[in-house]
Amino acid sequence: MPLPAFAPDQGADGGRRQRFIAGVVFAFALLVYYLPDATQQRAASALRGSVLRPFIATQEALVEARLSARQVEELQRQLDTLTARLATHGALEDENRTLRDLLELGDRLRPAFRPASVLRPGNTDSERLFLVSVGSEDGVSVGSPVIDQNGLVGVVREVRAHTSVAMDWTHPDFRASAMLANGTSYGIVEAQEGAFREDDRMILRGTAFNAEIEAGMPVLTSGFGRVLPRGIPIGRVESVHQTEGEWLTSYWLVPMVHPASVTHVLVGVGEPGQAVIDVWSSPGVTGELLRREQRVRDSVPALRDSAGLSAEPQPSDTASEGRR
Amino acid sequence: MTSTWRVWVVIAGLILLHLLLHVGFGVGRAAPDLLALAVLTAAREMRVGTAAGFGLAMGLLEDALSALSFGASAITMSLIGAGGAETRDLFVGDSLLFLVSYFFLGKWLRDMVHWFFVGESVRLPFVDQVVVQGSLDGAYTAAVGVLVLVATGFWRDAHR
Repeated sequence: MPLPAFAPDQGADGGRRQRFIAGVVFAFALLVYYLPDATQQRAASALRGSVLRPFIATQEALVEARLSARQVEELQRQLDTLTARLATHGALEDENRTLRDLLELGDRLRPAFRPASVLRPGNTDSERLFLVSVGSEDGVSVGSPVIDQNGLVGVVREVRAHTSVAMDWTHPDFRASAMLANGTSYGIVEAQEGAFREDDRMILRGTAFNAEIEAGMPVLTSGFGRVLPRGIPIGRVESVHQTEGEWLTSYWLVPMVHPASVTHVLVGVGEPGQAVIDVWSSPGVTGELLRREQRVRDSVPALRDSAGLSAEPQPSDTASEGRR
Repeated sequence: MTSTWRVWVVIAGLILLHLLLHVGFGVGRAAPDLLALAVLTAAREMRVGTAAGFGLAMGLLEDALSALSFGASAITMSLIGAGGAETRDLFVGDSLLFLVSYFFLGKWLRDMVHWFFVGESVRLPFVDQVVVQGSLDGAYTAAVGVLVLVATGFWRDAHR
């Protein structure tokens, strides 16, 4: 049995000395606890980069392997398509380059994004943080946006050479300056912690009381403060959260991205704050988002019919009804 | 290999397995808290000051992965280490009841102290995280602890 019986291996002095050492250790732990954030993060980074590096590398390898397995079929399809298009690609590329030079579009395409894997530390108190497999050597900096194909996942919080720590939008420190997709209203998006992780919700605060905002309207990053680029989808308006006097109204948003389901992301590199609105307004991406939303809407009446329920009010009326 | 060496090999194995399951494989709550189990087991092999230092080191390892509450695990684990070592003076025994209680209470107290220090922005309500989840985790850790002792042969050695 590893739990030994009491052995009188220490006298009264030894016991006092041991308790003194324990007190010193506890005082040191308290000191660590109250260190400034920057120092704590440096210490955490040092540990992650040394003792914990093999374990983090294991998770990276596992995530990569899982992603690879999932993507093989998709890649095969894409390869077939690309092969078919390759014959005409050379001419198109040349034409594209010439036109870009003519229009000086190069600068407008920034910031570039780097693909990265998402790694979860697995601790209960770091559920809102994740590691991404790109770092300062890839051009990532603190505040770089983390996105996936649906929109904003979060923001980079700490950067190391090859990895970075990012917080997703459910993090209590997360804020994003936001606007409606039509540019009529601006505000700040933040998270509202739920009773449990899946209950975390997103709120758009600070919009004018008399603004005409209806359920389903897309909300994008506004680019104010030059932290996040303008134009990244954040969510869709769901309903009124609360009104403050007759000045301001805040709204519940349906997030574009559910952080728990994210395994692979794009991390912004280079100049922060450059607009990326064209990325999501391109016909392909918008079309896919619309098709997905239509599928969801189609499935609700079908479910209701199958359950024999009566029709509910249309969701598009909810926000303005709530405010009235 | 002497009994003491075997104990330390098992403790090292628990630490490695914990990091592999939680960090390497990202298993999360489904995997038991083997780090707490390692500290509780090691504490019975050490004197108070050393056990507190060992707990501090393990706590810092855990803190490195939780940037929101850096230091909370360091405090918690050092207290648990010191507390576990103090039980050598209070309880002399290796009965099943003692072991289960020791691991259960150790893990439960670890969760409670951690909840206290982890900060309001991160922690769940006390009832959810400490009373319900903490008790379940404590029972899980106690079961795994006893299994480890049986599997490694320490239980048999103690009752020879």
